[in-house]
Amino acid sequence: MAEPVPERPKAGPLEAAIAVCSAFLGIRRRAAYEKDAVRLTPVQVIVAGIIGAVIFVLSLVTLVHFITS
Amino acid sequence: MEAVTTHDHAHGHDEHAHHPAGIMRWITTTNHKDIGTLYLIFSLTMFFIGGLLAMGIRAELFQPGLQYWRPEFFNQLTTMHGLIMVFGAIMPAFVGFANWQIPMMIGAPDMAFARMNNWSFWLLPPAALLLVSSFFVPGGAPAAGWTIYAPLSTQMGPDMDLGIFALHIMGASSIMGSINIVTTILNMRAPGMTLMKMPLFVWTWLITAYLLIAVMPVLAGAITMVLTDRHFGTNFFNAAGGGDPVMFQHIFWFFGHPEVYIMILPAFGIVSQVIPAFARKPLFGYASMVYATSSIAILSFIVWAHHMFATGMPAAGQLFFMYATMLIAVPTGVKVFNWIATMWKGSMTFETPMLFACGFIFVFTIGGFTGLILAIAPVDIQAQDTYYVVAHFHYVLVAGSLFAIFAGTYFWLPKWTGHMYDEALGKWHFWLSIIFFNITFFPMHFLGLAGMPRRVPDYALQFADFNMIASIGALGFGLSQLLFVACVIKCAKGGAAAPAKPWEGADTLEWTLPSPAPYHSFETPPVVK
Repeated sequence: MAEPVPERPKAGPLEAAIAVCSAFLGIRRRAAYEKDAVRLTPVQVIVAGIIGAVIFVLSLVTLVHFITS
Repeated sequence: MEAVTTHDHAHGHDEHAHHPAGIMRWITTTNHKDIGTLYLIFSLTMFFIGGLLAMGIRAELFQPGLQYWRPEFFNQLTTMHGLIMVFGAIMPAFVGFANWQIPMMIGAPDMAFARMNNWSFWLLPPAALLLVSSFFVPGGAPAAGWTIYAPLSTQMGPDMDLGIFALHIMGASSIMGSINIVTTILNMRAPGMTLMKMPLFVWTWLITAYLLIAVMPVLAGAITMVLTDRHFGTNFFNAAGGGDPVMFQHIFWFFGHPEVYIMILPAFGIVSQVIPAFARKPLFGYASMVYATSSIAILSFIVWAHHMFATGMPAAGQLFFMYATMLIAVPTGVKVFNWIATMWKGSMTFETPMLFACGFIFVFTIGGFTGLILAIAPVDIQAQDTYYVVAHFHYVLVAGSLFAIFAGTYFWLPKWTGHMYDEALGKWHFWLSIIFFNITFFPMHFLGLAGMPRRVPDYALQFADFNMIASIGALGFGLSQLLFVACVIKCAKGGAAAPAKPWEGADTLEWTLPSPAPYHSFETPPVVK
């Protein structure tokens, strides 16, 4: 009989945001990454990634607006 | 990665005995290895056709003045060289690698949709036939550049229709291939192989497949609009009818820039398999490599207009695309850093795959830096449509994608054929390729900075010397590729028997299979610890 799979602890939105920010840079501490791999779900990462991309675009637009004004 | 295989391969070589023999085996095959081989042979054929066109270009440019071709035909040569190399050589080669390697690397018996896999491949030869046969229709082949910008593409003869249909078919093939790859990776991994235990080649292909699914329909939309502008009275790109030719450029490059990453991410994956194997160390920063690949993929969607700085976009637009483009250097830099860190203090040997991987890092990085220079809008306004751009993208696509394809071929040939390739021949191939590559393309930086425009059959006298050097280099590079063919054929026909794991430091699942790999890879999935 298969062993019961332990329920994984859920990560909060902040943890997902930090993981995605690290992904944009491409650098992550090993311990933190291993924690992410256990706690984060793919849906959390994808949603955080999309929000991160939108924030990234908006901050670039704001920067450009500031410079050109 | 440790794996326990329980599969008995004693009868592996006879498993396709009940399938049709001869040509029908290849036409009806649903086997991922057969289809991978077909893709690779197709790609090699197109590589030589595209290469022949390049020889035609360089022969004309050997000296100033018109030597061999009419200017119209010269434009056909440059256009068809680009289209054939991008859609016929580089992309199918990586799909060939995906077909051969992904099931073996994730412990699956085959691809998820085996019949669709056959269809994905067999769409390509008719598409290639349409594309190449356009040389023989009235007016000759498409001559609008590989980007088929409107209004050139809306005004050309029947050749453009052939080109458009060829691109449609190749796009459909790519989308089907990508769906297959995504489904295979997400559903057919061996027990225990979590996403973050997948080999990096598999990761890069997963992300590439999503990029393909996202942008191939965009290309299809753009060329369909060109088609309806040409024949059905629409005016999408016709300024006289209220349309906008610049809109074509926006739509094309929204496809075109992710396409650049479609052609380089699998190359990153191959290099990320080869370097740890020959450095005898695990890949440095595996997770950051995955993150950086995802990051590059996302960024690739928001930089397209850096190809269009000279179209007169507002300063705010130029700044946005300039900043976004420059930021791609961050995750790309992380990757280059990780490859070098993997080699650091490794027990390295330099067999041919490793030579090509090291050559890749060295020369691709030059291409990356010139890309960064071109990302600066005011510089790009100067360098737009000059040979500097030609130098840049050949450093990325030849020394990047093509060298990685060579690295991967030499790396996995023993697994594919069951024989070791001729190491001396492979090394000759590498050294001649990298030397002639630089002789060909390095002088093009100087030509571009001095103002020589691209896509011209004739040029001013001050460009003569560097053009002559580039043409000599191109001939040498072209001839050197015959060594590759010789090496592959020799290896396929015979040679020293390859052990299951010919490379000491290689640790992915395909090396647990015998060489040559059995017809069906893992009938019983291995357990990944």
